[in-house]
Amino acid sequence: MLDRFTKTALVLMVVITAIFLTGAYIGYIGGHGMEGTDAMVEEHAASTAANVEATSLVPAITDLVGEPLGFTIAGIVAGFIVGYLWTGLFRRREDA
Amino acid sequence: MHISDGILAPEWCLVWFAIAIPFIAVGVWQIKRGTKENASYLPMLAMMGAAVFVIAVWHIPVPVTGSCSHPIGTPMSAIIVGPFPTVVLGAIALFFHAFFGHGGLTTLGANIVSMGIVGTFSGYLIYVLLRKVNSPLWLAAGMAGFTGDILCYLAAALELALSLNPGSVLSHWALYSVGYMPTQLPLALAEFVFSAGIVQYIADRMPDLLAKKLWGGVSSA
Repeated sequence: MLDRFTKTALVLMVVITAIFLTGAYIGYIGGHGMEGTDAMVEEHAASTAANVEATSLVPAITDLVGEPLGFTIAGIVAGFIVGYLWTGLFRRREDA
Repeated sequence: MHISDGILAPEWCLVWFAIAIPFIAVGVWQIKRGTKENASYLPMLAMMGAAVFVIAVWHIPVPVTGSCSHPIGTPMSAIIVGPFPTVVLGAIALFFHAFFGHGGLTTLGANIVSMGIVGTFSGYLIYVLLRKVNSPLWLAAGMAGFTGDILCYLAAALELALSLNPGSVLSHWALYSVGYMPTQLPLALAEFVFSAGIVQYIADRMPDLLAKKLWGGVSSA
């Protein structure tokens, strides 16, 4: 049987995932590429000046494994850290 | 608000690093002090670091504009662990973001200033002001998230305009800000919701963990 904390976390996860999927689907059927605004504004800004171009001094993990897998790995690692510490700090004690 | 390597002029990269470093130094000092005073401070700090890392690289699609962007998470962190330690967390998160193709190493100082300093302190200031007029905690925290998010992007737009368009800073600042805002406004509302929810949750469960002494002892919570 799931405890209250796990149930809440699962419901939140489903809601957040549903929001992402709905947003991505609406963008997809609208024909948009869902490009990031950081890159869009940066490209536009660079085009207003001479000899300015975005580069990267470090190899990006997302270039090696792709953005979906790269961000999934990052999310899982960060999620485990947050989840582990969150339950340790905030779990309601049985004797409380 | 992540600015990539190669975009900003070297002198501006140095200026932003010079502004960021004192904030980081104070943050490191406060972290050392906080860990001595409260045993729960370090795990809370680690959790906020992981949260800021993932929130600030978490691209959320905004169907209305057909583009995506991310919240920043630093205003929420500032309320929970303090603004100066949040600058340190933001700097660490932004360093690792560079390895995910977001931001860069030479522009790290500029990104720390926009997300770590402007986003953090503007949100925190709103939080403190609203708490001083007896605003509910959730509303003060939510408004901190919303304000910090928007001002972070205005700061990034200013950084681009100062470096790339020195002859027409104001008009290009407005132009880049307009470029960011249609996608960022809905995400700032999302930042309002999760900042309000998480801070209220922590206040209900473990209120002693909220940063209480700020800027020389002003009580916030």
